[in-house]
Amino acid sequence: MRSFTKLVVNEWLKMSKKRSFLVPYVLIAAFIAGMLYMMYNYSDQLPSFLEFAGMVISRNGLGQMLTLLVIICTAGIVAKEHSLGTIKLLLIRSQSRSRILASKYVAVLLFILSIFVFTLAAALLGGGLVFGFGGSLETGWNDVLSGALYQVIYTLVYVTIAFLASILTRSSGATIGIGMFLVVLEELVVVLLSRYEFTKYLIFANADLSVYVNGNPPMPGMTLTFSSVVIAAYVVLFLAVSFVTFKKRDVA
Amino acid sequence: MNVQLQHMENTVPGLDAAGNLPGREPVVLSVKQVTKRIGSKPIVDKLSFDIRRGEIVGLLGPNGAGKTTTIRMIVGLIGMTEGDVQVKGVSVRQQFSKAIAHVGAIIENPEFYPYMTGYDNLKQYQRMSEGITEERIQEVTRLVGLEKAMNKRVKAYSLGMRQRLGIAQALLHRPSILILDEPTNGLDPAGIREMRDYLKRIAAEEGIAVLVSSHLLAEMELMCNRVVVIQEGKFVTERTLGEAAEKEKAEERVNVTFRVSDAEAAKVRLVRMEEIRLLGLSPERKEVTISVRDNYIPRVVGALGGEGIAIYRIEEVKASLEDEFLKWTGGNQIA
Repeated sequence: MRSFTKLVVNEWLKMSKKRSFLVPYVLIAAFIAGMLYMMYNYSDQLPSFLEFAGMVISRNGLGQMLTLLVIICTAGIVAKEHSLGTIKLLLIRSQSRSRILASKYVAVLLFILSIFVFTLAAALLGGGLVFGFGGSLETGWNDVLSGALYQVIYTLVYVTIAFLASILTRSSGATIGIGMFLVVLEELVVVLLSRYEFTKYLIFANADLSVYVNGNPPMPGMTLTFSSVVIAAYVVLFLAVSFVTFKKRDVA
Repeated sequence: MNVQLQHMENTVPGLDAAGNLPGREPVVLSVKQVTKRIGSKPIVDKLSFDIRRGEIVGLLGPNGAGKTTTIRMIVGLIGMTEGDVQVKGVSVRQQFSKAIAHVGAIIENPEFYPYMTGYDNLKQYQRMSEGITEERIQEVTRLVGLEKAMNKRVKAYSLGMRQRLGIAQALLHRPSILILDEPTNGLDPAGIREMRDYLKRIAAEEGIAVLVSSHLLAEMELMCNRVVVIQEGKFVTERTLGEAAEKEKAEERVNVTFRVSDAEAAKVRLVRMEEIRLLGLSPERKEVTISVRDNYIPRVVGALGGEGIAIYRIEEVKASLEDEFLKWTGGNQIA
């Protein structure tokens, strides 16, 4: 177990030692500052700091951008090893390929976590400083945290798809392309295919659990439990394909 | 009775432990009937060879012979279709992590994370193996002479420095065998020489076995104790080089060219002698080339002197590894 932790440390260092590592955090901070400025100056009704944080973390706020940022930042985690050629020195250590890939996936999960914790903290702090730390009747801590959780799950789904794409294509450019394409076109796909029954089994229709908060599922007959099971099944499938491919691959 | 038994036990390890001949080092790497097929086309076909402790073995072959594929199968980067590789008796197929712990390797040019320092790169590999101390990192850094560059980013390293860092990462976990795929690719003559000196020192001092693949024949001749030649994925031949080979050849014939005052007269005299085969005569250059046993040469000199033929040069005509290589592999296919 200790040796697995060391592998995760390795992966984290490979990400964090890059000069570009701080870019997503700076971008998020800048966006939140921009939103605060706009709302403070041009909005008639000022939100409470909890409302503001909930807005920031939701998919229509910064949520979707966070997903894209995570995809862009983690697209290289497998692909870059191939393009740099470091995979050859990585896979000839006394560690199985599954452990190495698992450590990479765990590092990706940690990165998702760090991005969301940072965003939430920045939104709460910024919102509090600008709008005051007073409570609100409509939005409580629960709403903010569950909203964040739904967006983390949404991000996890697409990042897992990107992780698979990174292994299959061995190219970070292609991975970013595929990831962004899917995130941007997901709604369109669901709308276009909505007359077919099978659409509700597509991952695109299920990834966003926040739709159930307002009781507005994309297709009739879908429930929170149904979507959770579909998401879990897809994530397991994507990871299974990822691990099998990575284990079997001839590194030439 | 007891005494006799003990005496017998003492002689046993030398005679048949792992089939070793008396006085020979134990086998560290054993490639057994290794085969790689892509589709139905064999890339490597039932290849077998052994490497012993402290030995530097070259894997030779024309381009596309399967050298790189063989090496990648040994280190587990490519799967084998059939056969097995054992490192100190542990199967790479069955117990990869355990077997590979004894192996240090550089596959083609060593590639590192360019945005990290040399030290950070070595730390990565330290965390992936058990029991590598901070002192060990310092030790291998000194061995390859990179102390001053360890805090620079690898991006700023020259190819020679990257190659040295490559050796450092390969030696970090004290492997029993070092495997190098085309280690001199892209190095300048000074770098190649440095590399050769390292490898010889490591093999002699620490008893590490070394397997090198290369198509630079002259280089292999200087570096290796033994070469294994493969072509189209198949074993062709195996040759011992250097001092060991010289000893074997003491009784063999050598080819010698004499430059004399009168080549025709020399020829007439020499063909009268038994034990001599005339290989060539060039009257215009006043040279005569013969094949003769080593210890017979003084008599040839005496005979020529007796005839009043002056001798200006005596040169051995040596078949280089390259000549032999071309003979084994059918010449024109080398690139």
